[in-house]
Parts: sequence; structure tokens; C-alpha cells
Amino acid sequence: MSFTAVARKDFSDARRSRSLWALSGLFVLFTLLMTYLYTVIPELEGGDAAELSAIGLLGFIAAPATLFVTLAAIVVCYKAIAGESESGSGKLLLSLPHSRFDVLAGKVLGRWLVLVVPVVGGLLVALGAVFALGIGFPAGTLGVAGFDLPAWPVVYAGFVALTALFALVYVSLVVGISATTASTSKAAALALGAWVVFELLWDAVPVGLVFVANGFAIPANLAALPNWVAFVSLLSPSVAYSHAATGLLTDGTTGAVPFYLLGWFAVLILAVWVVVPATVGYLRYRNADL
Amino acid sequence: MDAITVSNLTKDFGDVRALDGVDLSVEEGEVFGFLGPNGAGKSTTIDVLLDFVRPTSGDVRVLGMDARSDSMAIRERVGVLPDGYHVYDRLTGRQHVAFAVRSKGTGEDPTDLLERVGIAEAADRPAGGYSKGMKQRLVLAMALVGEPELLILDEPSTGLDPNGAREMREIIRGEVERGATVFFSSHVLEQVEAICDRVAILDEGRIVTVDTIDGLRTGAGATTELAITVDAVPDGAADALPAVPGIEDVSVDGRLVTVRMGEGSKSQVLHELERTGATVVDFATRETSLEELFAAYTEDDDETDGPDSAEVEATTAVNAADVTADESADPVEVGR
Repeated sequence: MSFTAVARKDFSDARRSRSLWALSGLFVLFTLLMTYLYTVIPELEGGDAAELSAIGLLGFIAAPATLFVTLAAIVVCYKAIAGESESGSGKLLLSLPHSRFDVLAGKVLGRWLVLVVPVVGGLLVALGAVFALGIGFPAGTLGVAGFDLPAWPVVYAGFVALTALFALVYVSLVVGISATTASTSKAAALALGAWVVFELLWDAVPVGLVFVANGFAIPANLAALPNWVAFVSLLSPSVAYSHAATGLLTDGTTGAVPFYLLGWFAVLILAVWVVVPATVGYLRYRNADL
Repeated sequence: MDAITVSNLTKDFGDVRALDGVDLSVEEGEVFGFLGPNGAGKSTTIDVLLDFVRPTSGDVRVLGMDARSDSMAIRERVGVLPDGYHVYDRLTGRQHVAFAVRSKGTGEDPTDLLERVGIAEAADRPAGGYSKGMKQRLVLAMALVGEPELLILDEPSTGLDPNGAREMREIIRGEVERGATVFFSSHVLEQVEAICDRVAILDEGRIVTVDTIDGLRTGAGATTELAITVDAVPDGAADALPAVPGIEDVSVDGRLVTVRMGEGSKSQVLHELERTGATVVDFATRETSLEELFAAYTEDDDETDGPDSAEVEATTAVNAADVTADESADPVEVGR
């Protein structure tokens, strides 16, 4: 498998560009700002500052982080394959013994690293700020080999991993889109279109389906919508990510919930999102004339 | 086994037929020139060899393997200088070659390859800042990685100055001595004839002819035109010159003597002229250009487009003093 050679080439290319460093700087600034707001807002609202915790901070960061990750993924990835086809560097790449699968897989891996380095870095800086500001940690413990260890590092690492997975979803989506066309402007337009649908308009989809399912009328009891409505809304990557993050950070669910609304199922949805767009993009790219 | 075998290859882009029943076979160890005007389908043919583009119909085999299903195995053993490529602007020359070495898993030192193509001093600069000629050398270095059995070079001299084109030919000769087969395309006859064992001419997606360069010239009745400026034309010159073997036509216009000849020694023409008492002031040759040679092979077509192509001529001016001073060397060698 030569996709690691492609990924390595791609990543060293990005490392020499300003984008990786600009993104890292931006995400660090973003997490520091969020950490600051997290400590200030409860005071403004008359809350109890003692309730602040590192895990609470992550919950506070999760939603705006999706905005950063999704937009950064578009910027980093829309040219991944369309740009190579458009400029002609793809001929250089494919003159060497790489299959088109290797190219796509290598691109996903390389661009994902470009995105994950700032995300992990930013979340580590946030952890540093937590220590510096004296924000507490939750008291929960995990029993490991007879020792009671604090649970928060596991939760924190889990959140970092989950965010990295979410980044992979968007990298797969945008690289997949980039593989379907040899025009970078078309790739950018399609990626932005997908972003608008899944980030801005998705809330309307379950509502619309309810409207249709109810015989084109607004249901009388909006508080008791069927479970499938929540499931449909969960099909958006960022909803699935937020849902999984909430499950991870608030430990435990309330009441009887079908399995497909549990946190782990949201992770499964994200995993499907990693595979599907990249596969569709690959099938188009495999059969394309360069 | 042939290095390349193309049988009845047809490629349509939408409703445009780019290649129409192309047959081609390149023997192992030969240097094969693939000629034709821009847009004839040379790059499309090469793109099919490398599986960049998929044939509409036809059978294409490279090193005995199917160009589509065995493309990876083919590219392991082939070095490619593609057409219309773009380098990675931010990566250095060394990183480009290192990427090719890693991709082929050959473990060569990128510096050695960059030295071979003459850009070692620029190894650590981003390739985006390279000149066109340096980029061409860089991509040639990538093509040489892993001592490939077959080199496929699409317009290799693009962007190279005459010195660079000569170095390119020397590298190609070195590769042939090592045992490699070389298949390269060009629209400049001079580069092809200096190095090729055989050539094919492609026109509008069809192979017009496959032959050696000499066979091509003979077949097309190609001629060379000498334009000689003298201080004054002696009376006997116009009568004496046609006696020189190979001369087909002589015309005199003021101080300019124009001689059209097929096979024959150009220096003998100059000597003959000086023997009649003239002093050569300036001197230029014009070979039958590829366009003209090409036109000769496509004259049967009712289309007569490209009449201006004869104006696009390869002209080599040689200082008259050098010509007369060095009697042993053919003074127009650079023009050939």
C-alpha cells in the first residue's frame, strides 16, 4: 500500500504552507477564548463558579468546535484531488506506482493530519488553561486493577478522539467531493453546499418529514414526537458528534431510549460517514479520465 | 516481447474522436519517436499507456501487461515524464525525488539523481520557483528513479535551452545503453532525428507512417535549402553549382544564392562557390521542417490546412568565418 507515501507527501506540502500554522493558531485562540468565556459567563449570570470543571468546559467547546472543524475541513480539503487534476500535478502523482485508491486514501490521511494537529493542540492548550486557571476536575473515578483512578483524563482523551473522528468525517466528505470533479471551483461549491445542508438546514429536515408524515399538517402534540424524528436529526454529522459528546461528557442517559439514540450509536453513524463519501468519491475518481 | 503494443486503439472524448484505430509497436531497447503536430493525439496515446485515460476500444499492452488492469505493475517498471504536469510548488526538488523514490521503494539517494539532471544546487529550493527547464529536469529525475525498463517521455525538451536539450539527449542515450527502451513524443523534428531509431507520425488520431528518419526523408523527398550571402556573385557560379552532387535547384537574387538540395555535402557547395571567386559573407540552412515533412505524408488528404507551416522554419545561421576556417567539420551539423 503506497497511500502512506502520498499522505506523507501531502502532509509535508501542508507543513510548508501557512495553512497548517494559521489553523493551529486559530484553534488555540478559539479554545483559549472559549475557556475564558466559560469562566466568565456563570459569574455574569450569577451562577456558582465552583461548579466549573474541565469536562463542563469541553461541553461548552463542543458545539462551536463543529463550526471550526467543518469550515477548516472545507478550506484544507476541497482542492485535495480536484486541485491535482486541475493543475496537472495529478499526472506526476499517478505516473508513480500509486493506485487511485492509494491517492484517495493518502489524501484523506494527509489532510486529516493537517486538521487533527490543530485540534489536538488546541484541546491540549485548553487543558493547560484549565490547570492555570484553577478550574476543577470532576471527582468520578475508574477502578483499574484495584486502583481508583480519576475518570476525567479518560473522558478528556475520549473527547479528543471523538473530535478527531468528527474531523475525519468532514475530511472524508470534502476529499470525496473533491474526487468527483477536476474543477476546484466546482469542488468548493459542492463542499459549501453540503455544509449548508448538514450544518444550517438539517434542523428543517426532520421537521419537514414530520409535517409530511402527519398528512401535511403540523402535529398537535409537538412534545411527543416519535423517536425516528430524533434519529433523522442524528444523521447529520455534527448532530451525531454533539450527541456522542453529550453522552460522553454527561455520563448516562435519562429514561428508556432506543439503542439508535444512544451515544455509541452516534459514533457508529460518524463511522459510516467516514466510509460513504470517500467511497462514492473513489468510485467516480477510479473511472475518470484525468 | 515488445515494450509497447497498441492494437486498434480508439478513444472518444464525447463526440470528438481523439484516436482512431491506432496501431503501434515499440521494440525492446529501441528509441522510438512519436511525432505529430499539437493536437494529433500524442498525449492521449501516452495517457492511455499510463491508464490516465481509458480507451473506448482497442488493446494496449506495456511490457507485456494490460495497460488498464496491470497499471500499477506497469508504473513500477516505467519512468514517466508526462505532458502538462504541474510540480508541487512548496515542495523542494529533493522532496519531489524523495517522494518518487519512496513511491517506488527503490532507496536511491535523491541527490545523485538531481546531480545527473544538473539541478543538484537547487535541490533544497521549493520547486515552485524553478524555471520551466529546471522543472523539466526535476521531473526527468523523478522518471529515472528505479532504473526503469521503459521511459515514456512526453515532449521532453519543452522549456529546455539547446544545451539542456543536448543534455537530455545524453541522458536518454545513457539510459538506452543501460538497456532501457525509450518512447518519446515531440513536435520538433531536430530532437527526434538526433536520437531515434524509428519514428511514427500521428495525424488527427491516425498513424500516418512508421519508419526510420532517413526512410521518412527519402520517402517524402525532403530537401535542405541553403541561403548563402556572398560579397558578389561571380559569373560562373550559377553554372558551376549544379554540378555538385545532390543539388536540385539554384537561384540567384542579388548577393543571395539560394540552393535547394537533397542528400549531399553542404560544405562542398560553399567550397564550390568560393572556388568560383566569391567570398561567403553569411550562410543559413533550412531543413525540411517536421511540418513540411508531415505535410508530405498527409498531402493525400483533401484538407490543406496549415499552409503557413512552411513559414515556421528551423533556421540555423552560421558565421561564415567559422565555416571556411574549419574545413573538416560539416559546418551545418548544429542544424541537422
